Amino acid sequence: MEIKDFIEKFAEAVDVENADSLSESTEFKMLDEWSSLAALSVIAMVDEEYDITIKGDDIRQSDTIEDLFNVVKTKA
Amino acid sequence: MAFLKVPNVAIKGISACVPPKVEENRDIPFYTLEEVDKVIESTGVERKHIVSDGITGSDLCLKAAEILLKEIGWERDTIDAIAYVTQTPDYLSPPTVFVLHDKLELSSDCLAIDLNHGCPGWVIGLASLSSLMSHGSIKRALLLDGDNITSSQYPLDRESRPLFGDCGTATALEFDETVSPLLFHSGTNSKDGVSLIRRKGAYRQPHTLETYKREIGMLSGDLPVEETDDTMDGMSVFSFGITMPPKSMKQLCAEFNLDIDNIDKLLIHQANKFMINKIAKKMKMDLSKVPSCLRDYGNTTSASIPLALVAQCSKEYSSQKIRSLACGFGTGLAWASVYFETENMVCPDVIIY
Repeated sequence: MEIKDFIEKFAEAVDVENADSLSESTEFKMLDEWSSLAALSVIAMVDEEYDITIKGDDIRQSDTIEDLFNVVKTKA
Repeated sequence: MAFLKVPNVAIKGISACVPPKVEENRDIPFYTLEEVDKVIESTGVERKHIVSDGITGSDLCLKAAEILLKEIGWERDTIDAIAYVTQTPDYLSPPTVFVLHDKLELSSDCLAIDLNHGCPGWVIGLASLSSLMSHGSIKRALLLDGDNITSSQYPLDRESRPLFGDCGTATALEFDETVSPLLFHSGTNSKDGVSLIRRKGAYRQPHTLETYKREIGMLSGDLPVEETDDTMDGMSVFSFGITMPPKSMKQLCAEFNLDIDNIDKLLIHQANKFMINKIAKKMKMDLSKVPSCLRDYGNTTSASIPLALVAQCSKEYSSQKIRSLACGFGTGLAWASVYFETENMVCPDVIIY
């Protein structure tokens, strides 16, 4: 599981046009594109791409994209 | 494993009744136009019928039952059992099924039970009542199912206000040794139940003067909802909803050798469009076989499966043999799937109370 790959999929789910503008240290809740609907898209993306179920608390307790990636990785 | 095979029970008719008042999501005051379009696009909900003037879920079910009984031609004294599934009872006591039994003027020789269940409620109610009937003594039964859920909601709760509507449904069941069995699977994940919980005001956490004032303030829309208040954890419910329902329906098909390609209608609890589409995709089911009534009615909790059936497919159900697979999921957290076959059942158009 590569973080670069995860960031690309994250960008697509959240509808960030330029994935290069994101990095592992991006605080995703600060993004203009972030919303409660974007959160659902990320949950759906993780389910579809990694077959892993993340919950509300996993999103709430993550600040950076890397935090979220680590949650997914731990559950893999 | 919680599988059930219930022989000898036919679903003879289904009806649904909604209150007359309509709330347009575009009229909700706290959204900008851009926001509301996004919400409508992802939830699929443009408007909902919501109760007013003291109408309750049992009123809606009563009307649904009266019209169904009339169309089906059953005398009231031929009904041996009635069950009412709700999360919004009329009174603290007695169970609301007795209110309905009285207003429907059913015989005293009749079994009456209430089931307190959320969104999986119609399927759970069907499993419970049909199981009682399959013994053979109870020949005819009514399954009433519905909530006035919007009465319990906070108008300033951004997550639930655009989603939920009210509806009451009636399902007529008859003992019939010639029909194919009803097939069920159900499951429970109570550990995550906290994502759909309302704690205050019952017997574990009775209201204090302070919490009661706050509750009334939130219910009337004067007080905003804080993160510490019990509201839906939409993210957790969503991740649960796209995971367990397809798994459960696939387990049901595997257990009873059902071929998904032979299913005519996939009736998914009308949670929201995003979830329904994800579940349909996981079931590899073409959306043309997945009825949705979200646009005009929203998420009507446990009534949503029978409402979607009535609102979108009443003509097909009343004139054809149809093989249906349905799954309800939510509060508990719990889920329940059912496979059922019907032929020319009585299915009147959606009733406006």
